[in-house]
Amino acid sequence: MGIKFQNVTKAFGDTLVVDDLSLEIADGEFVVLLGPSGCGKTTTLRMLAGLETITTGDVYIGGERINDVQTQHRDLAMVFQSYALYPHMTIAENIAYPLRVRKLDKPERTKRVTSVARMLEIESLLDRKPRQLSGGERQRVALARAIVREPRAYLMDEPLSNLDARLRVQMRGELKRLQHQLGTTTIYVTHDQAEAMTLATRVAVMSRGRLQQFDTPLNIYNRPANRFVAEFVGSPSMNFIDGKIESGAFVSESIRIPVTRENADQLTIGIRPEHISVLTEPQNNATPATVYVTELMGNETFVFLSVGTNKLIARAAADFRAELESPVWLRIDAEKAHYFDRQTGLSI
Amino acid sequence: MSRALKYFLVVVALVAALAPVYWMFTISLKSEVDHFALPPPWFNFTPTLEHYFEAFVARSFGQYLITSAIVAVISTLCALVLGTLAAYALARFRLPYDLDRRLSLWILSTRMFPAIVTAVPLFLMMRDLRLLDTKASLIIVYTAFNLPFVVWMMRGFFDEVPRDLEEAALVDGDSRLGALVRVVLPLVAPGLAATAVFCLIVSWNEFLFALVLTQTDASMTLPVGIAGRVTQYEIKWGVMSAAGAVAIVPILVFAMAMQKYLVRGLSLGAVKG
Repeated sequence: MGIKFQNVTKAFGDTLVVDDLSLEIADGEFVVLLGPSGCGKTTTLRMLAGLETITTGDVYIGGERINDVQTQHRDLAMVFQSYALYPHMTIAENIAYPLRVRKLDKPERTKRVTSVARMLEIESLLDRKPRQLSGGERQRVALARAIVREPRAYLMDEPLSNLDARLRVQMRGELKRLQHQLGTTTIYVTHDQAEAMTLATRVAVMSRGRLQQFDTPLNIYNRPANRFVAEFVGSPSMNFIDGKIESGAFVSESIRIPVTRENADQLTIGIRPEHISVLTEPQNNATPATVYVTELMGNETFVFLSVGTNKLIARAAADFRAELESPVWLRIDAEKAHYFDRQTGLSI
Repeated sequence: MSRALKYFLVVVALVAALAPVYWMFTISLKSEVDHFALPPPWFNFTPTLEHYFEAFVARSFGQYLITSAIVAVISTLCALVLGTLAAYALARFRLPYDLDRRLSLWILSTRMFPAIVTAVPLFLMMRDLRLLDTKASLIIVYTAFNLPFVVWMMRGFFDEVPRDLEEAALVDGDSRLGALVRVVLPLVAPGLAATAVFCLIVSWNEFLFALVLTQTDASMTLPVGIAGRVTQYEIKWGVMSAAGAVAIVPILVFAMAMQKYLVRGLSLGAVKG
């Protein structure tokens, strides 16, 4: 079901944790709330779940204002970071819990638990207790408990962050398929941009309680609304150089990039590492730089460069080799560059 | 510390703890002549059940036992129900003006003054309520007496339960009370058992209020009944010992049944499981 936050604010004492958040999520969407820790994303999710009160503003689920509806009547399902499995119940009892409190009869409960367990391939675990399960298995059980009924939306609070890297990537894929299969609105909180990019239909980037941008993953990456979004999304992070545009070129103390933009003072140019090519031979219009350090990733190489006082990162081919402090030349793809107002940080 | 010294201390402690029990059991089985024999016949006496017969058949100790059981069990249940709910609220909800912390301290402070201070006011109150010499008066007083203990014990146990679990239960569609009963209480069961044992022992052994508030066999508990056999003319050692020996049994059985929880309950929180 569709979900709407309208001018929602949450204050703990004098601290604004969520500041005037407005967000409209369509039915069936997979929205990721992305941001660093303390940005208010988890609080936002908890307000939707009814686990935190809403200081001001309104929250709607499927058109119904739910500010004053108690958690248990909101008909949502949530997956917690800690999984929050009931330690004293077996896996089957854990999954059946939402059905039990809804007073479904036993045969129906068993039927649904079995079918969900089959879907998530945890049938063999049903008689065990949570403490006998591995992290990945617990994660599946937590998911199973959420999808065993048909709630109005799924809320997920960093559900994959306690898994090891390999398992996380695997579960990420499965989550995406699962949500596609079920078609239920999902709100997913994470600080991991890879999860946000791969899972979301739309990403809401938050910082310090404020919504920075709410758009598709591609637009978030290609058209960041401000410097925060540009910096937060993308790995390695975007390069920023302060400077100005003067007669057809971006100029800073050590870099000159020909651009086709009007003159402007006080701006910052943002260039993604993949838009900087590192050349070992001098070329026309290429910016000289020295290699600070290189990091071999296997399938590619990150080259850390010094250009005057600026430090830049470039993405190079896997076979790129250069000695430390050796001279190189940079070709910067000005077409793909982003420009930000130095004062406001907004994209211009 | 050397091994020998360690064992010596253990033996001293055991003797100190068990000697009175041994003495009571033997007295209860000895005939009256043997009570005062010097040196006392440690084991080589002819056991007799005459004191048990006198206590529980000729006199009303059977009734005292039943009264004690009723009062102890009901007051323990009341204290557990009320105290657990209060403890849960204090552990989970932040009240304005720091009220949750102040309330907790105030509850604790009721245990700080000696019980005897309240004996006279309680007597007067119970008299006005026409509750003197009833089991109800003892149940009320013991419940009140045990409540602070239950609140503080249980609050500590609740603090150990991750909030996520209840929040998960709420999102899953359960009510607060449902989450408490179905999710939280099973997790603090060892703590609850330990607390129950303590309350039961306190109520079972309580003497002062029982002495003040009861007058007749209708509401007299075992401790008062036993002490009542010390009279102006004679001290019925045999009867008192027989009743005392019987009085130990229910608590012993209950504590043994709860033992596996007791250790876990008292160390709950010390080690995260």
